[in-house]
Amino acid sequence: MKKEEFLRELRRNLAGLPKDEIDNRVDFYAEMIEDRIDEGLEEEEAVAQIGSVDDIVNDIAKDTHIVKLIKEKVKPKRQIKTWEIVLLVLGFPLWFPLAVTGILLCAVGYLLIWIFDIAAYAIECAFGASFIAGLIAFFAAYSDGVTNYLPLGIAVASLGGVFAFYNVCVVMTKGTFRVSKRIVTKIKAKIIKKGSN
Amino acid sequence: MDAQLRRGVLDVCVLVAIKNKDSYGYKIIKDLKPVLELSESTLYTILKRLEEGNMLVVRSVEFEGRLRKYYHITRRGLERIEEFKEELTELMKVYSFIAEERVL
Repeated sequence: MKKEEFLRELRRNLAGLPKDEIDNRVDFYAEMIEDRIDEGLEEEEAVAQIGSVDDIVNDIAKDTHIVKLIKEKVKPKRQIKTWEIVLLVLGFPLWFPLAVTGILLCAVGYLLIWIFDIAAYAIECAFGASFIAGLIAFFAAYSDGVTNYLPLGIAVASLGGVFAFYNVCVVMTKGTFRVSKRIVTKIKAKIIKKGSN
Repeated sequence: MDAQLRRGVLDVCVLVAIKNKDSYGYKIIKDLKPVLELSESTLYTILKRLEEGNMLVVRSVEFEGRLRKYYHITRRGLERIEEFKEELTELMKVYSFIAEERVL
């Protein structure tokens, strides 16, 4: 790929960033490519060493806070006109519930990622409760002069469950953290690219 | 390496790379290559962060008919290097404790 083509492609894929940041980044990569060419590399080689535009966007997504990206996305590109404000106020009963629904849907979507973890923690709690209940049942019967080993057995087995399942919970939580981080990075990369693909 | 620690180390590495002489992006990457592999986008983020922290200033210099950005360390940047060296002395004590597994 030629330098100009690469830079054009890069610029197109950074459309979701603030204007001055796009310029700065593109200038930065232009300089990087030119310095390599000055050193004796062929233009194509120099461009290849920089890596792919997708990788660059991904790196930027990892380093940029999502709030900053969303702010840039919702920022009006020009002054809002009076009639638009009037329309916004009049349309409030319509767009407000829609906005709330949208936010709730996002929240539900995020919760769904965690659904298996929540289930795992619920099972962990159930084992814990079963352990305590078993102990109470055993000692309650014991104080009444009855020695029934069944509840004690259940308590011990549940305690085993607590320990075994604790590791499952930890592994799952870590995994979900990683997955949700990756999803957020993907979303951020999408915002940066701003539908250029 | 822990992300926070890595960020701190990278920042100081870049500061050291421009400490004695103003430098530019590609040269910084080349100079640091023996110690660490730095991608362009990582370097961009570091330079931006150092600039915002007033540890370096940027100026564009004409070079062979084009502009090249040179990075110049500030007093704050020099202080940061010294601070980091002190932190490192502390860290080295902890490191040798861990390495030797010597319990007092």
